[in-house]
Amino acid sequence: MHQANPYFGKRLAPHYYVEAVQSPECLQIKNRSLISFILFGFIFFCVAIRLLNVMLINNNSGSESLSLPSSLIERGNIYDRNGEVLATSLVTGSAYANPQEIIDVKESVAKLISVFPELNKKEITKKLSSKKGFIWIKRYLTPKEQDKLNYLGIPGIYFQREERRIYPHKNLTSHILGFTGTDNIGLSGIEKTFDSVLKKDQQDVKLALDIRIQHVLHEELQKGMIKFQAKTGSAIMMDAKTSEIIGMVSLPDYDPNHPDKISKTSSFNSNTLGIYEMGSIFKIFTVASALEAGTVNLNSGYDATEDLKIGRHKITDHHKQKRWLSVPEILMHSSNIGTTKMILDVGAEKHKAFLKKLGFLDATKLEIPENGRPMTPRSWKDITMATLSYGYGIAISPLQLVNGIGAVVNGGLLNQPTLIKDGNKGASQQRVVSSRTSDQMRKLLHLVVKKGTARKSDVVGYVVGGKTGSANKKVGNAYVKKGKHRSLYAGAFPMYDPKYVILVMLDEPKGTKDTFGFSTGGWTATPMAKEMISRAAPLLGILPVDEKSPKMKAAMHLNYKSGKEKHAVG
Amino acid sequence: MYSEHIKVFEKLKNLNYFLIIMISSLSFLGFALLYSAGGGSFLPWAQPQIIRFFIGFVLMIFVAIVNLRVILNYAYAFYGLSFILLVAVEVFGMVGMGAQRWIDIGFLRIQPSELMKIGLVLALACYYHRLGTEEVRHFKFMLVPLALIVAPSILVLKQPDLGTTLLLVMIGVSIIFAAGAKARYFVIAGLTFLGSIPFAWNFLHDYQKNRVMTFLNPEQDPLGAGYHILQSKIALGSGGLTGKGFLKGTQSHLNFLPEKQTDFIFTMFCEEFGLIGALALITVYMTLIFYCLVIAIRCRNRFGQLLIFGITMTLFIYVFINIAMVIGLVPVVGVPLPLVSYGGTSLITLLLGFGLLLNADVHQEFKLPRYD
Repeated sequence: MHQANPYFGKRLAPHYYVEAVQSPECLQIKNRSLISFILFGFIFFCVAIRLLNVMLINNNSGSESLSLPSSLIERGNIYDRNGEVLATSLVTGSAYANPQEIIDVKESVAKLISVFPELNKKEITKKLSSKKGFIWIKRYLTPKEQDKLNYLGIPGIYFQREERRIYPHKNLTSHILGFTGTDNIGLSGIEKTFDSVLKKDQQDVKLALDIRIQHVLHEELQKGMIKFQAKTGSAIMMDAKTSEIIGMVSLPDYDPNHPDKISKTSSFNSNTLGIYEMGSIFKIFTVASALEAGTVNLNSGYDATEDLKIGRHKITDHHKQKRWLSVPEILMHSSNIGTTKMILDVGAEKHKAFLKKLGFLDATKLEIPENGRPMTPRSWKDITMATLSYGYGIAISPLQLVNGIGAVVNGGLLNQPTLIKDGNKGASQQRVVSSRTSDQMRKLLHLVVKKGTARKSDVVGYVVGGKTGSANKKVGNAYVKKGKHRSLYAGAFPMYDPKYVILVMLDEPKGTKDTFGFSTGGWTATPMAKEMISRAAPLLGILPVDEKSPKMKAAMHLNYKSGKEKHAVG
Repeated sequence: MYSEHIKVFEKLKNLNYFLIIMISSLSFLGFALLYSAGGGSFLPWAQPQIIRFFIGFVLMIFVAIVNLRVILNYAYAFYGLSFILLVAVEVFGMVGMGAQRWIDIGFLRIQPSELMKIGLVLALACYYHRLGTEEVRHFKFMLVPLALIVAPSILVLKQPDLGTTLLLVMIGVSIIFAAGAKARYFVIAGLTFLGSIPFAWNFLHDYQKNRVMTFLNPEQDPLGAGYHILQSKIALGSGGLTGKGFLKGTQSHLNFLPEKQTDFIFTMFCEEFGLIGALALITVYMTLIFYCLVIAIRCRNRFGQLLIFGITMTLFIYVFINIAMVIGLVPVVGVPLPLVSYGGTSLITLLLGFGLLLNADVHQEFKLPRYD
């Protein structure tokens, strides 16, 4: 039977097959499918044409219609490092009147209010009846409003062409760009510093900022601030080798499109203008200073069994080990006693010179006017040195801290931090530590992430290194012990060849159920940094590596001994 | 007599692997895009999607090897169950995103309107399978199919979900068309539809009216209802010819692009892979659809034919509406890009549909009597 049918038996064995010829109703679908073929093909063609139009052709003409003839625009644009527009200008018309030319005040007011119902009738009547020769009616009209007003034909009313500054990313770029006033003058941030470049030379400015990274920092910082009910938050991500700032967020922030609504607290740029005592994070510089001075090596150690007395002050540890600690352990367990002993061996003169080289004793010269001046010790006595070793008695800006860490881990070379793309191209770098010390610091900081207090920032594959800190806040002259502190994290990645440095800081975070009530840096800022790194690293094109591969293990291996065997380190 | 009981192993051997590979490839592309949408992370989207895919994949293979006769026998039952669930949503459904579409049964949330798409295909295929050739042409026999289409459509429209309603109607009508109803009915129906638009307008929800208005003129309200489509166009334009590269789309990664992981995933794809990538993806979809139509023609029993045609039509309408929506050819309606967009029910429903399609294909030479 099956031999009668050429289609038969191709896929299934003969006995399953029954029908030799397709029944007429089965043939019906052939015609209808053919119609569908043609219809689908046609629709497919339409979609393809439309795509071509939207993605290539229309795209060009679209941007042409957006950009006005350059002669009309005075102020230059600001772009991010990838060419995304951060600030641009729009030509608008503003309506003004010459009250002396107004014939019928009452009628003019009625007409004006019919177009702008939000105008105050009394006020505008008073203005129009005055003896002045010039009054503003409404500024920055939309073309539609301008057209309507023009159509009314009120004698004595004119238009002035005005430029309006637009910040498409709103709050995202607030503290960096700053804003302009109503007369198109830059009042803060990049807008102020580059006012003449933008306005007189009508040049564009290209920032080092990467708006995608800025967005990641902003979103994660905001999330963390809400979660830990912090008062303010700061986050920076910087290129470790060039000190170009690719992301910098200070919260609360503001929308630069509405300069009139900016409050004093939200306009404060905590990253550059704020200066803070940084707490335990400063131990990075203490250890680096000691390694550089040669007073310790990685196998040295100090006795942290008992609290240390300097004059009438007592220095204690938070994570008490009550034993000898080797240098890596001092950093891992964040021992105040250890760093104090370490710094006293280095001596005031050398350490002061080191901090000076890092730029911590002078104000930064970033390309915005908001640069804080650090608070530095007046005298460099033993007790000052002791507190300096774990981050008190000196207050610097978060930006300075990030830049300093970048220099310590990047091979030992310091740049000026910059907001401009290629801002440090050709500029000389200053050596702050030897490449050997830098290499040791990289391994030490990686160890702190793998085994120490910064474990919650470990993004496996990106070889993170970092240090946490929790700095008690000073109220008046006394440090508040409970509840009021700043939590910090600073780190860099990937540690075998650091490309980016990151800092996260929260002011007065509160513990949550998840953190068992803890609000120190290791529980708050550190996991936030982890989120930022894990989102930003792929965007920055950093490929994850196998941290367990023999090659990577060898690269990050740190040969150190534990102070548990006292005689081993001594 | 013939035996219907082909061995499971033999059926597995005879599955259409070309189709399975295409389905899996599209799904894997989806994982990659969701990984990108998550900012280069498996969470929050890629990982759940992968898990759902594997659940759906097992379901698909299982459905593919069940006896076609069993499916024919349960076709109406499946339709009935979907209908009951739709009514249940009406009575105690969950309200999500302003529309009542979900039903929560503890560990699982289902969207009965999704199941209904499969149910409708099954029920209509079953109905026409049992009808003679001459009867099909008779107007009298169009009343039942129309009722089968209209009843669930009204329920879905009430949810309110205009997109799915239109989908159901289009799927249903296409099967009536494939079954061989007189062509002039479609002309008349088309004219009636155009004529009824002004009246239907009054029955639309405000947000639905808004969508249509916005579609006609998105620039009118760039920050409100027009936002989706404008941002989508900007992102498309920013892709250019070759795209910005995987993980590098700025518009989508900055969250300018709303719903980038679901309905607007095609936009993200275009931004990252450019016009070339977009045309390639559409070509893959069209190849899949054309290939399925060929399978439908090849099939030798009516139920199987209509089943394949119906599932293929569903796939086509999904692809077409989704892509046409993001490039501004049709108004914004919530339709995912099949196999690629994030979303549990739609992925599993699609895989279930493909399971039926594979089933009809593997049983293509079966004789199915009109009635048992």
